Amino acid sequence: MTESKLSIVDLTKRYAAGLEPAVDRLNMEVEEGHLVALLGPSGCGKTTTLRMVAGLMDPTAGSIVVDGKEITHTPVNKRGMGMVFQSYALFPHMNVEQNVAFGLEMRQVPKAEQKARVAAALDMVQLGHLSKRQTKELSGGQQQRIALARALVVEPTLLLLDEPLSNLDAKLRETMRTEIRSIQQRTRATTLFVTHDQDEALDMADRIAVMNGGLIEQFGSPTEVYERPRTHFVANFIGQANFLTARVCTEAGRANLAGESYYKVDVEGLGQFGAIGTAGLSGSTHELVIRPHRLSVSLQPGAAQAPLAGTIERVSYTGDALSVAVRVGGQQLQAQMLTSSGDLPRVGDAAYLSWAPDDAYILPTPAVPERAAAA
Amino acid sequence: MAAMAALSSAVLVLSGCGGGSEAASSGSATSGEVNLIAYSGVWQDQYTAAVIEPFKAKYPDIKINYASKRSSAEMLSALQGQKNNPATDVAIMDNSVSTTGNKQGLFEKIDTDGVPNLANVQEKFRDKEGYGPVAMLDAVGLVYDTATFPEAPKSWKVLWDPAYAGKINVNAPPSLLGLSLTAITSKMEGEDYAQSIDSAVERLKEMAPGVQTFAPNPDEYQNVITGQTVLGLGQNARGQFYSDQSNKKMGVTFPEEGTVYQINTINLVKDAPHTAAAKTFVDYALSAEAQTAFAKALFYAPSVTNAELPADVKDRVVPTDGSLNIVPLDVEFLSSARDKWTDTWKRQIITK
Amino acid sequence: MTLLQTPVAPEKRSQARDEGKLEKATARRNRRTYLALLLPGLLGLLVSFVFPLAYMVRMSFNQGSPDGVIVETFTLDTYIQPLTDPYYWRVTLDTFQMGVTVGILCVLVSYPVALFLARSTSKWRGLLIAIAIAPLLTSAVVRTYGWMVILGTNGLINSSLDGLGLIDTPLKLTNNMTGVAIGLVEIFMPYAILAMISGFGRLSPQLEEAAGSLGASKFKVFTRVTLPLCLPGLLTAFLLVFVLSISTFITPRLLGGGSVQVLATEIYDQTTGLLNWPFAAALSVILLVLFGLIIAVYQRLTKKIGG
Repeated sequence: MTESKLSIVDLTKRYAAGLEPAVDRLNMEVEEGHLVALLGPSGCGKTTTLRMVAGLMDPTAGSIVVDGKEITHTPVNKRGMGMVFQSYALFPHMNVEQNVAFGLEMRQVPKAEQKARVAAALDMVQLGHLSKRQTKELSGGQQQRIALARALVVEPTLLLLDEPLSNLDAKLRETMRTEIRSIQQRTRATTLFVTHDQDEALDMADRIAVMNGGLIEQFGSPTEVYERPRTHFVANFIGQANFLTARVCTEAGRANLAGESYYKVDVEGLGQFGAIGTAGLSGSTHELVIRPHRLSVSLQPGAAQAPLAGTIERVSYTGDALSVAVRVGGQQLQAQMLTSSGDLPRVGDAAYLSWAPDDAYILPTPAVPERAAAA
Repeated sequence: MAAMAALSSAVLVLSGCGGGSEAASSGSATSGEVNLIAYSGVWQDQYTAAVIEPFKAKYPDIKINYASKRSSAEMLSALQGQKNNPATDVAIMDNSVSTTGNKQGLFEKIDTDGVPNLANVQEKFRDKEGYGPVAMLDAVGLVYDTATFPEAPKSWKVLWDPAYAGKINVNAPPSLLGLSLTAITSKMEGEDYAQSIDSAVERLKEMAPGVQTFAPNPDEYQNVITGQTVLGLGQNARGQFYSDQSNKKMGVTFPEEGTVYQINTINLVKDAPHTAAAKTFVDYALSAEAQTAFAKALFYAPSVTNAELPADVKDRVVPTDGSLNIVPLDVEFLSSARDKWTDTWKRQIITK
Repeated sequence: MTLLQTPVAPEKRSQARDEGKLEKATARRNRRTYLALLLPGLLGLLVSFVFPLAYMVRMSFNQGSPDGVIVETFTLDTYIQPLTDPYYWRVTLDTFQMGVTVGILCVLVSYPVALFLARSTSKWRGLLIAIAIAPLLTSAVVRTYGWMVILGTNGLINSSLDGLGLIDTPLKLTNNMTGVAIGLVEIFMPYAILAMISGFGRLSPQLEEAAGSLGASKFKVFTRVTLPLCLPGLLTAFLLVFVLSISTFITPRLLGGGSVQVLATEIYDQTTGLLNWPFAAALSVILLVLFGLIIAVYQRLTKKIGG
């Protein structure tokens, strides 16, 4: 394994004694060149973490190490990071060029070099032609890019993005997503990206840290956190999920090289099914996670083996997709159908559900009854 | 009362329409109201207690409305403002200012028919043309801190003594105090101030750096009482009054080189709304009773011959019998010199 | 759907035209309502501001005289006299200097307070602002008298310094420009603070953080970001204090001890002391012109710094 660009060790922030910590003994390793998304609902501590890395806030405990150097108590202006704020925080009394040059000026880069680097940075965000404009004359997307150029022009050790897309409209957000990602990959700037939008995180990040209540619930690649959520929270927060509480019965053989196994599981009221999970889960009760689009829905029985029979309770048509809620036994399961699949189902129709064992993932943490109830 | 007011204003309108200069006697002499304009502050307090209250007791149907002003000049500008529609009946003000008022036709002449007590006013205190007579007199004095000066200073020259530099207050012109000091200094320099005050200006320039303030606040007496200064110009009457008030912490004296009278006249406003009642008031103000009472209250010298003052009061009011060395500051002259002298002080004497 | 839309369209258009007419009519009615609502205010302004001002301007062309008689005429003497007299130039210059000095000092001492209040996120912020402007509840006269007590020969400052053995002779802190400046600065601080707080709209903690993250030291953050963003507020506060200073009469009169001659005290003397109303009116017009010039310069400046 390569040396981490950024190591966060037991980082804790407590705003006041007696309060629950906003960030609680957080640990994270970020590789050089990676874009890591800090993803979670508001109040999960993601922005607090970012601000501590940036040096805008003092940690209560723990340490931050960049390139092997401890910077926990280094003042913000000595950290050499580039930050893009949610509101962009462009200096209103300076024009575009002056905004971008600010960091270079603070570093006392020679004027000529400043000019060249500013021009290059503006070209990178395709706004070279706006260099003399006042910032208030720019659109939200343009301001966003200037903010990015301003942060990148100093060749920061880390690029920190605090919800950079949340002030843009939906269409522009998609474009900027791609653009930020491509610029990040071109510059190979190691990036921390705070967002509450799972799509953004899945689309852009090399690694996602899913945060909840000041803790990282899971840290992994987008596919890992989506396909192999470690906790109920992660499975629930990222994408849609059906949860079924199941008793794991017998192991039915090794599933893949990652050491996962197939299991027979017993879902109360529904019967026995195949599922996949980490090794050694037999004998305890766990939650099954099944993504709606992995459930196959059929309006006729017998298409798959041992289908679950149920009734359609709700149909929601969104053009591309058709979501249905199917009542099976005591539970309602969400499923998706393709809209081109012939007859549209109606509420009250019979529906038959089935899934492949690979699509029912057993959460590795045992289901604690209260916890499941709370979630 | 309201009917009376309406009637009197109707009479006023009639006389106005007729263009008659003789608005002989509008209203009743023993009822109605009198609008008086006079000084504010302690002067108002003492005059109200010594003169107005007894007057009210004597004429319960006459109401006195006292409009107070801080200076005679302010009174004059108020009267000028209401020249076309007078709201004031009687004005008590400095004679230099009332002379201006006389010239501007703001005031009515007074005779013994309407105001019998005018006969008791000393001949020299009656206006030659018959306008408002002198109501009371005072003079400019030297105010001093009794702790610094156990004996009253004998000479104005003490103002130039370097020992007291920074502890002197001098009210600059247009205050009468400053104008008086100019005349006194000029006389001390052997100059005729009616011709030139050049020597006086030179002397005053020497004094100026030692002056703490040219506009003492709250006033020239409190400055000495509170110890901000130890010497200053002031009027004898108020000085005597504050001397008592401050337990003799402050004293006032007339230095040997002489001083300048400060004279207040009582004037009847032309086309006044309540002429008859106003004359009753003027008559009372010139009575021996009122003159004595005010002398006891605020140490102004009476202008009438028949006021008998107790010895301890008599010693403290300004003598009007010629025993005091007086620097004559002619009213006519003063009204022409006030502007110039004020300018001279501002431009040449007052230091920053 | 598309088939249906075509025949409907012209009707819709005419409807839209009607709506346009309606809107215009509404706008006209609204304008009339606004005018009607403005009328009492305009009348009040006419009576309390325009008439007196017109009267004053007219008065300034009359002829005054030493005994207070005002001659109705049309003369420029009242203007020629002060404009050709070096004394009045000096008075005007002193007035201007006092305004600038007091304005600068007041902005300097108010700025930290205003900056603190503007940035504070404390729940006591409202109370703190109320405390900062509470002195406005007492009259300037009372506060000026307070300063007379503090600055006097035997005042708090001189007696303290004397008690500490630091001075032999009392410092002259009052009855001169020093006293006037001290008094005015304190008296106008609440105005300056209010003007600044409302003028610091563009200031945000994020901008300061952004500057810090780009490598600016605390000092650089202040000089390059905080201060420039505060400039419009500071300028407004300065202008306000300047205008208030050069037009105030009470404090220069009470704390100046007659030695501080500014246009306002000169106007007072001419009006009440020498009864030369035309001359006083002319000086007032000159003071007004001075105001106008300053405000014009101010507007130029704010445009320049993008306020």
